[in-house]
Amino acid sequence: MRRGAWHQCGDRSQKLVEEQLQQKAGVGIIISPRDLSRKNAVAYAERYRALGAELLLDHQYYVPDFTNARFDSYPISRFRKGVSSLNKISDQDLTDFRNELRVDHEELKADAVIAPAVVYQAGRADVVQLNARLFAAAKRVAADLKLPIYATVVLGRSVTASDQTLQTMLSQATALSCDGWYFGFEFEEERLPSVRETVRRCCVAGLTLACTGKPVLHAYAGPMGLLSFGFGATGVAIGHSQNLWKFTCDRWIVSASQGGGGDAPARFFSNALWGTIIYPDETSQLTAAIRNQVLTHSPFSGPVASNLPWSRWDSGKHLVYMLAKQFSAMAAEKDPRKNAKTAIAVLDKAISLHAEIQQSNVFLADNTSAYQANWKAALEDLLKDNQGDFDFFDLMS
Amino acid sequence: MSYTVDINDAAKMFPDYKFVRPLTPSEQKAAFHVKDKAGTDLCLKLIAPNYERDRLDREIQALQTINHPNVVKLIEYTFSSKPGQQRHYIIEEFIEGEDLQKTLVPGKPWPVKDTARFFVTLCEGLFAMKEKDIVHRDIKPANIRVRPNGSPVIIDFGLARHLTLPDLTQTVDGAAIGTPRYFAPEQFDGTKHDIDHRTDLFAVGILLYEALTGESPFYNPKMTTRAQFRQAVCESTVHLTKASFQALDPKWKILLTRLLEKERAKRPSDARQVGAMLRKLGGL
Repeated sequence: MRRGAWHQCGDRSQKLVEEQLQQKAGVGIIISPRDLSRKNAVAYAERYRALGAELLLDHQYYVPDFTNARFDSYPISRFRKGVSSLNKISDQDLTDFRNELRVDHEELKADAVIAPAVVYQAGRADVVQLNARLFAAAKRVAADLKLPIYATVVLGRSVTASDQTLQTMLSQATALSCDGWYFGFEFEEERLPSVRETVRRCCVAGLTLACTGKPVLHAYAGPMGLLSFGFGATGVAIGHSQNLWKFTCDRWIVSASQGGGGDAPARFFSNALWGTIIYPDETSQLTAAIRNQVLTHSPFSGPVASNLPWSRWDSGKHLVYMLAKQFSAMAAEKDPRKNAKTAIAVLDKAISLHAEIQQSNVFLADNTSAYQANWKAALEDLLKDNQGDFDFFDLMS
Repeated sequence: MSYTVDINDAAKMFPDYKFVRPLTPSEQKAAFHVKDKAGTDLCLKLIAPNYERDRLDREIQALQTINHPNVVKLIEYTFSSKPGQQRHYIIEEFIEGEDLQKTLVPGKPWPVKDTARFFVTLCEGLFAMKEKDIVHRDIKPANIRVRPNGSPVIIDFGLARHLTLPDLTQTVDGAAIGTPRYFAPEQFDGTKHDIDHRTDLFAVGILLYEALTGESPFYNPKMTTRAQFRQAVCESTVHLTKASFQALDPKWKILLTRLLEKERAKRPSDARQVGAMLRKLGGL
C-alpha cells in the first residue's frame, strides 16, 4: 500500500480524479461500483494505471442489500442481500461469489483485494461471522491472483459509542489474518465530525489497527485525514464531495430524496483555515491581510486569484488537490507522533485565523469553525492517553 | 489426573521397540522414550481409552499440517482393533533435552540475550502454527521441550483449535480448556470464538515475563481460588508495577505489556511480529 493520499471515487468524480493524477496529486484510486458501471470502471482503471496510480476496488458491502443500476452492472451484485441471507449462503454460491470477485479484480488489474464486509455493529456476532466468511473467500481470490488482501473494518455507530464496545469489536475484527486494513468509522450526521470524544475514538481505532504492523488505509477520511497520519495510517482516502468525507451508512440506504446541492455557491478549501469558506460571498468580506492568509492556491484556483467566477467543480478539484498535497507531505514522515504534532500545529493556526476572522465581524457559514478545536483536542488526548500504543508502534517500526 | 501405563506392560504391547524410560504423561496419554529397530529415538504415546476421537483427529491433523523444526513431528498414528487387543498410539519424534519447566524456575531470571534468542525461536514455531490457522491453547512450560542446543519445540496438540474447521461442539462456550495458570482472559471469560492466535501469544507473554523477572505476572502462592486467579488475569495490572518488571529495560516492558493486554486487539498481531521485536531487543 502506497503512502499518501488515495482518491475515494464517487459522486461522478472519475474525470476529476484523472486530472488530479495528471497534476501528480494522489498515489492511488479506490473505485466505487456504487458510482461507476463495470464497463466504465474497467476503462477508467486503465487510464488511472497509465498515470501511475495504484488501484483498488471497494465492492461496498457495508449495507449489503443496497443496490442500484451501477452496482447491478457487476455480476457479483446478485450476492447483494441482507446479512441473514448472506449468512446462509451455500458453498456453491460462495464459490460463485469468489469467481465473480476474482474476475472483477483481474479485469481491473487491481493491486490488492479489499475483502467485502458489512459494517460492524455492537453485539452482532452474525456480522462478525459473515465478515469472516467473506474475508476467507476474498483471501482465496487474493492468493489466486498473488495480491495482498486487505480486511475491511468499518465500525458502525453502535460500536463507536463507547471505548469498551470499540475495543471488543476491534479484538474480533483484527482476528482476520490480512495484509492490510481498509478502515472506516461511522460518525453522526454532520458536515464534518466535530465531537471530540468520537473523533478521539476514531483515532484510537486507527492506531490500534496500525499497531498490528499492517498498513491502514483510512477510507472516507476527507479533510479529517489530517489526523490519520497521526494515528499511523499509511493511506488516506479523499474525495471532492461531503459524501466522500466521512463514512455514513445512510449513503447505502435507498433515499426518497432527489439529493443534489442545488445552486449552492462554490466553497474554497483553505489550508490555513483547514476548512472551507464560501466564494466569493465570504472571501470578499475579509480584509486584504486575512484574505491573503486564507486563499491558499492550487492549479485549480486560478479564477479566485483573479477574482473571477469559479465553478463548484473547480472548487472540488481545488479541495482534493490541497488535501492530496498536504497528505503527501505528511506521508513522508513515518513517525505518527510527529504527524500528530504537525496536525495539531495546522489546527492551531486554523483556530487562530478563525478567531481573527470573527474579530473582524465576519461570521462564516457552514459551521466551518466547529471542529478544528475538537480535532486538536482529540489528537492531544490521543498523544496523552495512548502513549503505550505509540511506544509499541515505535518499537515495531 | 494423568493417564499412566506401566513401562513393562507397554513394552509387551510393542515388542518392536526398546522402551528406554517413561516420559511425563498427560491426562490422555502415557508417553515413553523408545528406540526402534534402527536405534532411532522416538516418543511413543499410548492414548487413553476414553479419549475423544474427534479431538484426537484434530490433534493428528494439526501435527500432520505443520512441518517446522520448532514444532514436534508426527511419525505415525495407529488405531487398530483385534479381538482382545486394541492398539491406539502416536509416535512422534523424540526431542532430546528437557521440558521448559526445568529451566524456567521462580527466582532465577534468564539473561536478556538468551531470553531473546529462545523466544525468537519459539515464535517461529508459533508462527508456523498461525500460518495453518491452528491455535495451541495450552502453551505452558510442560508443553515446550528444550533441545540440548537450547532450541524450543512445541509439543502436545491435544487441545489445539483449528480456526478454519467446524467446531467440535455446538455450544459457544468451551474456551476454558487448557492450563489456567497460562490462560488468557478470553479463556476465562470468552467463548470459543474469542480464541485465536493471540490467545497463544498471551501465554508466551506469561512465559517471557517469568523468564525475564523470575516470577509469574499473575499467580502468587497466596491465591486459593480460581476466582482470585481469574481476577488477576482478567482485571489486574499489578504485574506492571512489580519491582522485577519495573527494573527491566523500557523496551522489554513495552513488549511484555502488549503481550499481556486483556484485549486481543491490543496484543501483537502474530508471533512473527513478536519475533521481529525480540530480535531487535536482543540485538540478534
